[in-house]
Amino acid sequence: MLQYIIRRLLYMIPVLLGVSLVIFILFNMIGGDPTAVLLGKNANARAMADLREQLGLNKSLFLQYLDVVKSAFTFDFGRSWATKQEITYMITQGAYPSLCLTIPAFVISTVLSLIISLVVAFYRGRGIDLFVRFFCIAGMSISALTYILAFQWIFAFELGWFEISGFEYGFPDFIPYIALPAIIWIILSIGPDVRFFRTVILDEIYQDYVRTARAKGLSEVTILLKHVLRNAMIPIITYVVIQIPFLILGALLLESFFGIPGLGGITLNALNSSDFPVIKAMAILSSVVYILFSLLSDILYTFADPRVKLK
Amino acid sequence: MKFLNLVLAGLLVVVASCSKEKNFDERELHLMSPEKIAGFDPIQVSDRYSGHENGKVYEGLFEFHPLKRPYELIPNLADGMPTVSADGLTYTFKIKQGVLFHESPAFKGPRELKSDDVFYTLRRLADPKLSAKGWWIIDDKIAGLNEWREKNTNLPVTNYEEPIDGFKKIDDYNFSIVLKRPFPQFLYSLAMPYTFVVAKEVVDMFGKEFLNHPVGTGPFTLEKFEQSNRIVYLRNTKFRDKFYPSEGAEGDDKLGLLADAGKKLPLVDKVVVDIIPVDQTQWLNFQKGRVDLMEMKSMYERALDDGNQLHPNLKSNGIRLHIDPMLDVTFFAWNYDNPIMKNKKLRQALSLAFDRAGYNRTFYKGLASEAQSVIPPGLAGYRKEFKNPYTKYDVTLAKKLLAEAGFPGGKGLPDITVETRSDTIPRQQVEFLAKNMMEIGVKIKVGQNTWPELIKKVTTRQHQGYTMAWGADYPDAENFLGLLYCPNSSPGSNGSNYCNPDFDALFKTATQLQDSPERTSQYEKLMEMVALDTPWIFGFHRPEVYVSQAWLKNFKQMEFNHSQFQYLGVDLEVKKELSKKF
Amino acid sequence: MKENSLWKDSFKRLAQDKTAMISLVIVIMYTLVALLSAMGLIASDWAREVGASNLPPSAEHWFGTDIFGRSVLAKVLRGTQVAMSVGVATAVISIPIGVFLGAIAGYFGGWIDDAVTWLYTTFSSIPNIMLLISITMILGKGLFAVYIALGATSWVTLSRLIRGEVMKHKEREYVQAAGAIGGGHMRKLFRHILPNVTHIVIINTSLQFQIAIKSEVILSYLGIGVQGEPSWGTMIDDAKLEISRGVWWQLAGATLAMFLIVLAFNLLGDALRDSLDPKLKGK
Repeated sequence: MLQYIIRRLLYMIPVLLGVSLVIFILFNMIGGDPTAVLLGKNANARAMADLREQLGLNKSLFLQYLDVVKSAFTFDFGRSWATKQEITYMITQGAYPSLCLTIPAFVISTVLSLIISLVVAFYRGRGIDLFVRFFCIAGMSISALTYILAFQWIFAFELGWFEISGFEYGFPDFIPYIALPAIIWIILSIGPDVRFFRTVILDEIYQDYVRTARAKGLSEVTILLKHVLRNAMIPIITYVVIQIPFLILGALLLESFFGIPGLGGITLNALNSSDFPVIKAMAILSSVVYILFSLLSDILYTFADPRVKLK
Repeated sequence: MKFLNLVLAGLLVVVASCSKEKNFDERELHLMSPEKIAGFDPIQVSDRYSGHENGKVYEGLFEFHPLKRPYELIPNLADGMPTVSADGLTYTFKIKQGVLFHESPAFKGPRELKSDDVFYTLRRLADPKLSAKGWWIIDDKIAGLNEWREKNTNLPVTNYEEPIDGFKKIDDYNFSIVLKRPFPQFLYSLAMPYTFVVAKEVVDMFGKEFLNHPVGTGPFTLEKFEQSNRIVYLRNTKFRDKFYPSEGAEGDDKLGLLADAGKKLPLVDKVVVDIIPVDQTQWLNFQKGRVDLMEMKSMYERALDDGNQLHPNLKSNGIRLHIDPMLDVTFFAWNYDNPIMKNKKLRQALSLAFDRAGYNRTFYKGLASEAQSVIPPGLAGYRKEFKNPYTKYDVTLAKKLLAEAGFPGGKGLPDITVETRSDTIPRQQVEFLAKNMMEIGVKIKVGQNTWPELIKKVTTRQHQGYTMAWGADYPDAENFLGLLYCPNSSPGSNGSNYCNPDFDALFKTATQLQDSPERTSQYEKLMEMVALDTPWIFGFHRPEVYVSQAWLKNFKQMEFNHSQFQYLGVDLEVKKELSKKF
Repeated sequence: MKENSLWKDSFKRLAQDKTAMISLVIVIMYTLVALLSAMGLIASDWAREVGASNLPPSAEHWFGTDIFGRSVLAKVLRGTQVAMSVGVATAVISIPIGVFLGAIAGYFGGWIDDAVTWLYTTFSSIPNIMLLISITMILGKGLFAVYIALGATSWVTLSRLIRGEVMKHKEREYVQAAGAIGGGHMRKLFRHILPNVTHIVIINTSLQFQIAIKSEVILSYLGIGVQGEPSWGTMIDDAKLEISRGVWWQLAGATLAMFLIVLAFNLLGDALRDSLDPKLKGK
């Protein structure tokens, strides 16, 4: 077990090298010249050349790549070119609002989806099953943009139930600000979640052991909650855990419309202003988290199902 | 599912309503910024929104009069206007005595503003290690400063002690600055955020973190700075005696803009600025009364009815509308590197095929004025009577000129891509142009870019055409005519790489003159010269549309408005009364 | 033979599923609209002014007109072409890559498996939106860039699924048997194993298709998608500024068009999985 974890952690090295390479290639080819943007509309050639030198853009490509790799392993990202702020500070400032939005939304939508899935699995094939499934799928077929535009207009503005935008650091001050975006998040993710959970649960329901249990005269509810759910937990956990890394990056569109100063907005801003150090930092951060959580998901897998052996 | 959501929503609403209380006792100003601001280091502040924020904390030697129009430069930290030597090279300044910087751990006790602080500020702007965005404003202007910058480029640490020819200290409150050659716009640069005065001790203490710890002499102190969320300021209790002006432009009296005359500034205790990038979100917040003032940019139609009056439902909430001309010009520029574009008749044909009235109606509700040339109204050099024969809408003539240019019906002319930003309105604007050009058989493609990409395409000359707006840095036509001055070609501000030796020669003489009828007539000549040559499709001088809440006092649209916020006030009675309606 | 009857069974079941059939009809209709529009038979004059600016829906203009007085219906139809082409192009790019990489990784194992796994771990650990935005920026935007960007990001899931499935099949008797009678690796892989994992490709494609459509809308909304042509994303982007003036029809048109096709693909995907995935057979 320990050996496996160490091996998986070591595996981060080639993946991080790959991530830095991809990011480096992509952003060295991208359109914008950072110096022109950083110096503003009255820039002249001389000042631009000086700044290129200062930012290390005149170094050989290999040396520049080494810089990227170095920061991937030291987590020292330096300062943003655009805002001149310490990037680690920007990340800690941005992670908080992002997580305030995504964690509650994620937990609620997962639990809600699980409950709904159990209910529809219980009534499988009947009217309520079809009805709920249709709603889930219909709900996820509407563009996120439409939800945002319409909900912000109706619930925050016309009805005044929620704050229109903004954010307040600290609990419970942030709740009125994240409530509406969280609801939109939940509506958008319940569809795919219920769909997946239901399939997994039904997969189990047709297994032999369920037939045996039923033959023993156990009630359907007991079977569902005790046996089926227990076995279905394995794919469900994997599915849920692997989504966690994406919570960190926040919800780009939700954040920008609802004025939540999270990491999604920071990323979008950085992409729009060719702010290479920030893009680099965000890509590296998210891939590290991704790898850690996929490791965690594999480990949980063994706990949930002792038959699986980690090699 | 729906039911559960409703329950959840209900719960959250309860929490929400508990935590929010309105405060009507404190004079608070609620503003918003559509963009993140670049921090509080004045030498890096090039955009207007960062300028707004820096102007609350810092001050320059001069500022523009908040009410008088055309813009009048008045002393701020300076004590009276400087004396200028006969050769136009030596400016002698006097600064106010007893001006204090905000309290800071960097100081031992109260810290007074001195001549050396001004020199230090200008040196920072020239410091090669800092790559200041504002360097261009004094580049090659002050005697000995470029040499100092040059010398320090390769030193490990910039030497701030070395004397510079152009900086002559007389005493703590009197000093002079010597220029290399006459540069009458120099005083304007001392009203720009780039030259807001900072203190050396603070910069030294905070180093790279200086941009988060501003210490200025201004009317407000920074209380909270969350870069992508909210900025909060408190009134500077030790602010010197500065008073609301008692005279303004004609009609200001009637508008109630002089009601606070003689009151001590600033007029509010607290300023809260929310960063709200999405326009939909901004508008909803304003309508809800969460912010006091909103710049409508290119979304006027939301606030205006068909007769360009304020929408009745907004009016009933006491909201006021402010429409004023901006000092700017929009244009579709062609790249002269492309030999086809050197064809004058082609350029004139393109200009004639552009339906300005329709464009104005579609995007500006007819509120913009059609540009005849490059200088906007309100600046010396603009002539109201001047009509450019190539800015009318005449498809027949355009077709004729296009044929004369060698492209009858657009035949033989390759597709032209016009680069713009990738937002909704810029895209629609180029689509409009394309629709017009189609009429004479010219195919225009829309090129959408992020801001950095657009800048790169223009500065590296990789474009066939692009569209942009240029806003004044200071109220002088030189700032606009320079857009077509050959030495400013890419990567400079002349993105069309237009070169006209006659224009260049006259530009050089004109811009060395002090403001005078002589200079104005030369500016006018320059303006007509480029108008007939049609290097661009001249676009518009856009209107600036603001809406303000009934309780906001003293707002008057201002182009160079970094220092404006100290003059704004809040009528708490009105606010209390009206907030019942929101 | 055995495979044939399995497919036949599946299709029979599918044909009895009403939702699946309705969905299929919708997909076919959208495809037709897209084809007709691509051939210039309908909506080719979407750029023409048909009336005043921002007219509400009426008998004459079913979906109303936009800011330039263009027919919103024509724009929706034209947008259908864009959306469908994005879905198809994404599939065309991602299926060969995903199947090939997944298959060789699952079949050969060893360093090939390591290399492929490394590749897709790298790709999936970089946030999708970052890859999408940067690839479209590099390729200079426009539809072509969207195709490539979506293709380049959506092979990952398929590849992982195929890899797992091929690994399972590799050990099965029939493959072992094929090996015994002297089939080469390529023959075993492509003649015997791949046909047995086709259902994964079909199911995955029907789901990827709608993800591609949704992504195109978001990319176009962000201004880095389709250029100079109507797309549902740019229409929603327009609507952002119009909705508070009560001009809702552009938003409604684009949303409705997108809703129907995404819904159809989702339902079809579910039905396909139910009928094709042998695991769920016999319920």
